[in-house]
Amino acid sequence: MWSGDFDSKILYVQTHGVNDPGRSATPFFLAASAAAMECEVMIYFTMYGPTLLRKDVIDKIGPKGEAGQPLRYFIEQATGLGVRLLVCQPSLDLNDLRLDELIDGVDMIGGAAFNDLALTADAVISF
Amino acid sequence: MAEPGVPTADQVLDCTGMACPLPVVKTSQAIKKIELGQVLELLATDPGVEPDMQAWSRRTGNELLGISKSSEVFHVLIRRAR
Repeated sequence: MWSGDFDSKILYVQTHGVNDPGRSATPFFLAASAAAMECEVMIYFTMYGPTLLRKDVIDKIGPKGEAGQPLRYFIEQATGLGVRLLVCQPSLDLNDLRLDELIDGVDMIGGAAFNDLALTADAVISF
Repeated sequence: MAEPGVPTADQVLDCTGMACPLPVVKTSQAIKKIELGQVLELLATDPGVEPDMQAWSRRTGNELLGISKSSEVFHVLIRRAR
């Protein structure tokens, strides 16, 4: 899954979802920073994480509520720099979600692919 | 006037008032738009910009020429090296 085009690879794992907006944005902006440092970067959304990628949610929540930027801003900052977003089917089921309810560009993987990404990354950082 | 020995910037990127990670993100985009050997001057007020730009330069292989601070604004000079 890693392209091999970059010297360093970081995998972030987001387990928190819409019920904890204060934890929603940090993985995206750390991922954006890593991409700006010419690392290859992916974020894997599991447990409640996939709820942050719902099309109907990203404009409605943000880490500081009404006072700050919506989640869309942080997501697009990261994806605009090449950060890839991944989910797995069981965590979609957990949240009663389908892939087509998520924003475009989210890739589906499974547990084996996740473990392989983790084993071959230079760093795995989980939230 | 530029001080003797201090390179002058070919391009200035104003990130004053912007918070992490925007100075890093915008620098990474701006450096790709200047020629190899040219110098980018980043202006930033984010208090983490000094360690951030040291790490970013080391990682990306661009040359950090110097960081100075005047009236709360950091001036970061970077030469595009790759």
